[in-house]
Amino acid sequence: MRAPPGTLRDWRFWLLAMAFLTLIAALLLPRLTLTREARDLLVVIDVTGSMNVRDYEVDGVPAARLAVAKRAARDLLAALPCQSRLGLGIFTERRSFLLFEPAEVCENYAAIDGALEGLDWRMAWEGDSHVARGVHAALAIAASLPADLVFLTDGQEAPPLAGGALPRFEGEPGKVAGVLMGVGSPNPSPIPKFDADGRETGFYAEQDVPQEDRSGPPPADAPSRAGWDPRNAPWGGEAATGTEHLGSLREDHLRSLAAQTGLGFAVLRDPGALAAVVNANTRARPVELRVDIAAIPAALALLCLTLLFTAGALVGRRPERLPA
Amino acid sequence: MNAAGMAASLTRDWGVDQPWLLLLLALALLPFAATAFVRRGIASTLLVPDDALSKAVSLGLRLAGSVAIATIVLGLAGLHQREQAIVRQGTGAHLVLLLDRSSSMDNSFADRAPSGDQEAKSVVAKRLLVDFIGRRPRDRIAVSAFSTSPMPILPLTDHHDVVRAAINAIDRPGLAFTDVGRGLALALDSFADDANESSRAILLVSDGAALIDRRVQEALRDAVIRTPVHLYWLFLRSRGSKGIFDIPPPGEDTPQANPERHLHLFLQSLGVPYEAFEATSPQAVERAIAEIDRQETRPLTYVERVPRRDFAHAAFAAAAVAIGLLLAAKLGERALTRAMPAAPAGAGHTGAAPMRRAA
Repeated sequence: MRAPPGTLRDWRFWLLAMAFLTLIAALLLPRLTLTREARDLLVVIDVTGSMNVRDYEVDGVPAARLAVAKRAARDLLAALPCQSRLGLGIFTERRSFLLFEPAEVCENYAAIDGALEGLDWRMAWEGDSHVARGVHAALAIAASLPADLVFLTDGQEAPPLAGGALPRFEGEPGKVAGVLMGVGSPNPSPIPKFDADGRETGFYAEQDVPQEDRSGPPPADAPSRAGWDPRNAPWGGEAATGTEHLGSLREDHLRSLAAQTGLGFAVLRDPGALAAVVNANTRARPVELRVDIAAIPAALALLCLTLLFTAGALVGRRPERLPA
Repeated sequence: MNAAGMAASLTRDWGVDQPWLLLLLALALLPFAATAFVRRGIASTLLVPDDALSKAVSLGLRLAGSVAIATIVLGLAGLHQREQAIVRQGTGAHLVLLLDRSSSMDNSFADRAPSGDQEAKSVVAKRLLVDFIGRRPRDRIAVSAFSTSPMPILPLTDHHDVVRAAINAIDRPGLAFTDVGRGLALALDSFADDANESSRAILLVSDGAALIDRRVQEALRDAVIRTPVHLYWLFLRSRGSKGIFDIPPPGEDTPQANPERHLHLFLQSLGVPYEAFEATSPQAVERAIAEIDRQETRPLTYVERVPRRDFAHAAFAAAAVAIGLLLAAKLGERALTRAMPAAPAGAGHTGAAPMRRAA
């Protein structure tokens, strides 16, 4: 169809043609390949008894540290971009125990979320809590996967470290990136006690827990203690006293542990904040992402049509003059 | 179906990514306020005959403009058909893998540290279980582990990637003890939210057993009455350890001396379909798993996922067609003046209509 010259001088025609061409462009444009930052993470959660301390408050109700740590891990799972992978482990005694290796987070979201929700202090196989050794073990697992480590713990060693010195770290500091997340409040709170059937029966008292690690050689200050005898009472004549039966976040201990192993450290105050800390402390793995950019020319087409009809409605009110 | 029901079924099957963009759908009213054509004055409306065809074409062109705007807006908002879950009938099972993660699993079948051509029991179990679930794509699988304490690892899931990730973790160093009883209680618990009655199975993989507490025994008997399951026990028997089918001499047949045999007797007494496989070598494990694979093929209602389909491009294509129509009509537009070289000859209805629409 040959267009009359009047049509070609009409702006309405050009706007229509423009809308048509941009839409054709939208249909023909190839997808753009972008890179995005995915992460491979191993989340290890401390399930020892001190994680049952209720020193958080969620919606005005006291919440246990373990519940808050689980909430934080689930929020982290939701915040990870697709193609990231997340594995899960638990820590008690002196080991970290791998439950499953990192799996893709979007495809397996429901299962991983269910696994995080299912974490429970009853999974702990021992009452001890050698946090430093647990972190070292978790680093070894993370290095073998490989993945970056996110370790959530309150840092309370039970029994307390002999002489307060960290055990030697045999790995290479900084080889595995990651973050040590301190869970809990620095104010001491009572630790709930449970019976064999899992019913809460009260709180730990001072003499229920070891207040001092009395295995190995006695500390240097032992001779100054009351009742000290090199053979019969090498740690002094009295039972150790202390506050180990109260749970509090051992921030200094975790800071020195983080410095020893080359991990980052942060305190978990708000469960939603974990994702930002993890982004700052772990390595990104660039993944390619195909992005559809058809929306840009299509939006232009919409703009053209809107202009056409709006302007048509505004200027077209006055009809063209009749031929004389 | 009433309007609310239709809206509900529409939003169940269809969705948009950016609902707020749908506000722009109001722009689709613009073509009814203006057209793409030049308004022309005529002396009298009496000059325009009452022509039904012209009216229809006029309305059609306004609709085309409206449709073009509406479809672009829908495309921009990310119109898609949601992921659909289609219920189908097939064969398979809802399966809980109950895996022993005690440290004895890290030894070979000869009960030594694995070396050379001897694989650790956990490595054999891992390899064959990964094969096993690879052959059963329709199963819903949960994973639990037990050692000193029972550990729920994964809830029932259709996504086998993460199940594979959990099986891959079993050759990591294990823990001290073997608390089968609580492990079984946990595995039965995995079916708590599962409505599918007919095809539940638990596959217990372990290389030993331990006494089951009397109270746990009672709890287990209760649990299998509530949730009937098929039980399979794949016993990875190390050299020198007692078998589950050997009957010891009288006087020595105590649960303390023969925990494996007594676990077998206990499982038999539960009153649910149960089968034990004793494997003393990787080949025997393979045969046992093939046998379980063969048996666990009961009819199963399973859900097949149809992934989400994007309709943005289809929407843009529809808009392009509508604009193409408008453009064709625009090219056929003729003025009423005499300056026109010829009458709108050759231009069919598309040409004739715009003239009429001047009215």
